[in-house]
Amino acid sequence: MPDTTTQASEEEQTESPAQQPVIPPEFQRPPLDMGWATAPTERPPLPKDFGPEGFTLRKADAGSYGWAPDVWPYRNDTPRGAWPAPEAQRGLVAPYTIYEKAEVWAENAADLYEQGIRERWAPATDISWSSIEPLAEHTEAALDQIFTNISEQQYNSNQVLMGWLGEISYGFHEVKLYLSTQVFDQGRHVEAFRKRALSNGGGLGVQMPGFMHRTTYAAFKFSEFIFYTNILRASFLLALCGASDKLARSQADRELFEHTASDLRRHLAYGADHIKHYLRADPVNRDRVNTWVMRGEAMMAADLQRDKPLREALILALGDTIEEGKAALKELRSAQLQKYLRTLEAASIYNHGDELVPAFQAAIESP
Amino acid sequence: MAKSETLEMLRKEPGAEDMDFSWLDDPAAERGMRVAPGKRGLTLEDISVGTYGDPPEMTRNQSGRMRGSAPRGDAQNLGAHWMIKSESWSESAMMLYEEALQRQWSSATDIPWEEMPELDDDLELAMSQLCTFLTQVEFIAGDLPAKFAPNISADHFETGLFLATQIMDEARHLDVFRKRALANGIGLLQAGPGAVGLLTSQSFVDMTASLHLVGEGFVQSLFRMGEMIAHSEVDKRIFRLAAQDESRHVAFGIMHMKHLLEQEPERRDEIHTYLDRMEGQVGSTPNQAGLTGGGDTTEALTILLGGGKSETQMDEGFKKLMAIRKRQFNEYVHRLDVVGLSDRRERMDPMIQAFLEPRRN
Ligand SMILES: [Fe+2]
Ligand SMILES: [Fe+2]
Repeated sequence: MPDTTTQASEEEQTESPAQQPVIPPEFQRPPLDMGWATAPTERPPLPKDFGPEGFTLRKADAGSYGWAPDVWPYRNDTPRGAWPAPEAQRGLVAPYTIYEKAEVWAENAADLYEQGIRERWAPATDISWSSIEPLAEHTEAALDQIFTNISEQQYNSNQVLMGWLGEISYGFHEVKLYLSTQVFDQGRHVEAFRKRALSNGGGLGVQMPGFMHRTTYAAFKFSEFIFYTNILRASFLLALCGASDKLARSQADRELFEHTASDLRRHLAYGADHIKHYLRADPVNRDRVNTWVMRGEAMMAADLQRDKPLREALILALGDTIEEGKAALKELRSAQLQKYLRTLEAASIYNHGDELVPAFQAAIESP
Repeated sequence: MAKSETLEMLRKEPGAEDMDFSWLDDPAAERGMRVAPGKRGLTLEDISVGTYGDPPEMTRNQSGRMRGSAPRGDAQNLGAHWMIKSESWSESAMMLYEEALQRQWSSATDIPWEEMPELDDDLELAMSQLCTFLTQVEFIAGDLPAKFAPNISADHFETGLFLATQIMDEARHLDVFRKRALANGIGLLQAGPGAVGLLTSQSFVDMTASLHLVGEGFVQSLFRMGEMIAHSEVDKRIFRLAAQDESRHVAFGIMHMKHLLEQEPERRDEIHTYLDRMEGQVGSTPNQAGLTGGGDTTEALTILLGGGKSETQMDEGFKKLMAIRKRQFNEYVHRLDVVGLSDRRERMDPMIQAFLEPRRN
């Protein structure tokens, strides 16, 4: 590859110029103005007592810097806490569509952002790839089918999530920052499970039916999308990672499930907190969320009922015999449902177990 | 045991009546992959082998089927994915993705905040103004690639993964410059016109031309001169770490444009027009300098570079600023050479040409 100016060194070396250029006459220094220095913004306190978590966003965003208004007032990229440019000098009105705090907010976003950075991992080097031992062909194929499913669904969640970033106005920076860590996490899940599937004599399996994929793309509202990915899909995947004691055949497998689970707990935490906030903002939102819940469950059921390769792979991977595997699959589905219901409770949606979409309930009870 | 025997045994097991095993019996995807980690671990390049490593030039895959996996006839059509590889492909995406994962840093713990010195008032004000500008524009470089991510085919997913790292990096940039403004008593100051104009990009190469090749390239050159701008170890380290991230973004864009120009040379003039626009030759808001802060930010940079606001210091600061501009333009021309647009030099505004080193032969 040609030199694209990427440096091989650990850190970029910043440097001084070799010589001063001749300044073209058009470039003359304007007289000193310093109007910007009198912008009447808040002077923050000097931060201290950083502690092991360092200079976190919560610590930095002191006073009014940490306060997000119910409706973000600026239609460009003015950062929260800066003094806005006069209207005539704000450039183009931005293409953002979400200006209401209730549509994206979660109280825990700033903390989850920092936590996501602290808990980052690199599949290339943080997984004990050499611990993987050859497995019986059908066992390896069954695991690979499960890994294919995870890689594909995470790519879908990630594409659609990235698409939403550009809709969220600039002032809700905690949310944009948190979501960036989720994007980064999901990217890791895509490649980590693909790497695993290609490393032990197997390969990828069969693609998913894609009803949930289509549903994430079709979400009209950001909160709707978050329900599908961060509550429904993430609860199911987190419970699957929880079956690592039965699924994992190597240290590498266990590490993959553990790291992924720790990422997903943050995704669930944001999803639940956001939906709770959204529900609290306006009573009418409860009916809206309920519609998304029904739609999500129906689409998830459509995937589960049609995905024969995944069903059979789970049966083979979870048990030593088919009967054992079928019993374990039933247990897994029930654990997934419980995880989903607990997440809904955290989002202030209670007793939903009595109101499941029938097809969804059937897919759980007779997997 | 041979697979056929295993299958026969499985089919005879109690409970197997409702199982068909066709996915196991006759897999449509390539098997027998046994990729081992190399000295950089198990990388995307390592697993890009066989049918899994062959991104198609043209694909009809609209279902999100990951490259190499077996199709289903009833898979849902998402109707969102670009079919042509050159639309979004960059040969460097895999390498840069892995590099990004290895070189992540934390604005909370990797900057020596506790060593923040008390700075002269004018310098602290100027640094806070520069950081206000950077807080304003940094995540535009996240919002823009994010806009195109839903279109990246699962057959070309490495591009999608790279974009995810750029978004993470830009989040950290917004965050670190915001924290810097808030770390030493001044806070954010005057917002400016910002960089929303970049979001007008209508195609991936419109983005890689305007954001990666020009915008981030200019920011990269600026950050590389961070030693001159910074008046503390804290600030120097921020610029160094951010420059390292920008290098990946710029490299991705360069390799995308290079690939596109090789595959679709007829788009050469089209690409020139995106650069015309960025250089301020289309009659809209200028210009290159604006990308690293016109007006208020230029003044703040001048104060930082000169070490204060006296006439002598400002003159000295402005000279250094012109040296930065010179470096920005020359590094830009070098990128143009790499992508195969060396002819652009003659097309540039004379004001830019005045900064260029003679052509290297
Ligand atoms: Fe950046
Ligand atoms: Fe960047």
